[in-house]
Amino acid sequence: MIPWLAQAPAAPALNMWNAPAGTPEIWMKVGIAMLAGFGLLAALIAAPTRLRRPISGAFIFLAGLFWVLVFLFPKPIDSQTPHEQRPRGFVQDVSFWLADAIPVVSNFSNILTAFILGLGVFSLVRIHLMRVAKKQNDWPFSVVLLVSMVAMATFGYWDWKTRLDLGGAKVDEAWPLAAYGKDLLFDGMLQVMEAAMFSLIAFFILSAAYRAFRIRSVEATILLCAALIAMLNLMGAVVVTWDGMIESFGKDNAFVMNFTLSSVAGFIRDNLQTPGIRAIDFGIGLGALAMGLRLWLSLERVGGN
Amino acid sequence: MDGVYYEKGWLGVVFTLMVAGFILLNIYRARKTSGKLFIRRIPGLNAIDDSIGRATEMGKPVLMVPGIGTLNAISVQALQIFAYVTKTAAKFANPIRLCCLDPAVYTVAQEIIRDVYQTEGVPENYDPDSVRFISDRQFAFAAGVSGIILRERTAAAFLMGEFFAESLILAETLNSIGAIQVACSTEITQTPFFVAACDYVLIGDEFYAASAYLSRQPVLVGSLVGQDWSKLAIAATILLGALVNSADGLKRVPDEANEGQTRALKADEKMITDLFSPKKPEWKPAGGTQ
Repeated sequence: MIPWLAQAPAAPALNMWNAPAGTPEIWMKVGIAMLAGFGLLAALIAAPTRLRRPISGAFIFLAGLFWVLVFLFPKPIDSQTPHEQRPRGFVQDVSFWLADAIPVVSNFSNILTAFILGLGVFSLVRIHLMRVAKKQNDWPFSVVLLVSMVAMATFGYWDWKTRLDLGGAKVDEAWPLAAYGKDLLFDGMLQVMEAAMFSLIAFFILSAAYRAFRIRSVEATILLCAALIAMLNLMGAVVVTWDGMIESFGKDNAFVMNFTLSSVAGFIRDNLQTPGIRAIDFGIGLGALAMGLRLWLSLERVGGN
Repeated sequence: MDGVYYEKGWLGVVFTLMVAGFILLNIYRARKTSGKLFIRRIPGLNAIDDSIGRATEMGKPVLMVPGIGTLNAISVQALQIFAYVTKTAAKFANPIRLCCLDPAVYTVAQEIIRDVYQTEGVPENYDPDSVRFISDRQFAFAAGVSGIILRERTAAAFLMGEFFAESLILAETLNSIGAIQVACSTEITQTPFFVAACDYVLIGDEFYAASAYLSRQPVLVGSLVGQDWSKLAIAATILLGALVNSADGLKRVPDEANEGQTRALKADEKMITDLFSPKKPEWKPAGGTQ
């Protein structure tokens, strides 16, 4: 099979897309890839407008075709099987080739995402620099954002470089300024602030539940009842008291025992909630499939068209 | 294949191809009839125009958040709906804010929104800062969007896409300033939060129906009808499966453990399991070392 996309069979697992780190070969490949990428981009920009759509459509189709084949083609046996012991034949070869190519193809999208992140950061910096320059409303917050961004990037890179040069264990022992700064900014501030945001949800749940459970309609009443049963079923003392009371009416009576809190909650969960969720899941899955199909075949027109 | 490969569950593959066939067939049908196929009313989508109208009257921006997922079918669907929202907002010269967590979604969103303004003939009204990359961290994003909501007092908000724990933070912050909210999450766990906190909620595949409902493009309408056909096929399969499974449940086979006795079929011996569950066959390489 074509070896240029899949990993090479023997160790070191290298193919035409990679090479040992730090070697002239890898730098040469990076250079060629950059040139080829910019060349393709320039060609696409220079192409007549009416041709751009079919060209991008062809790329989308090829990229999608790979994943469609991964899904539809028979899956190979354990990929750890030594190469010389793998079965032979067209179907087998394609199957192994597809499985081996997955990490390489996935890396393409990772690299694209890394490039696009730069655009996101550019947008953020531009908006906030403009706000500071024009002294718009709440511009001091923008200063905080820009300073935080620069500080985090600086200490993050410094710490990474220090760990690379000295080794992680030595850095942890010596705890230089780079490690201290990064730890303070990341663990000491960012993580804590994120946890604070997350904890706000507890209060929001309360206010949202209050509004949702107010009895305004039949639906709201049903929601309230179901939620109440589900909540009470999680309270041990309530479950013991209620179920004990039901059992006192007749432990051997199967009909009466249907009214224990756990039975009622279980009935709601198994017969109402789970089928509902399954049905919604089917709908979402079908919608995603249809959307994917339209995108793959370039039938989708997003935007002002 | 002689047991060399995992059994992929051929029925699942056939079913997927059948669904794809339904969708493509109905796209073809809809193109022939110029999209004149019936779609039922979805109240949440009717509220879109009202919400934008209210924002215009108040002179406040319309907020759109395409969730916190990466660039995938869900984000693209959300952007498709936001293209319609922007189109309506552009007609009234209403400001918009589209906040993104994923840089890839941000880049695509920027192109789509610019395209909408150009198509509407008002490219000068397009503000590049209206589409913003906030942060790629979940709660930093939630804090950033909440800040925009509170500072700019957005009058209408559309939360559509993949939302997780930040859904309630955004919905409640919007509620606190009295904004109209139309929301939808493809994450089942977040839908109840939106139901509790938002004015209008699209549930499940209504999210995917939205663009067809709003734009009436033949491709989208046909695709939606194809999805409905597929749902009918799934319902029929479930019914058939229940019947077959019940029939299997009545079957008795000789019990290996107790001679002369019979037993009911085990779960993995039933026809349904055999049809849908992939099996790993026993296989040894020619050398016999495996």
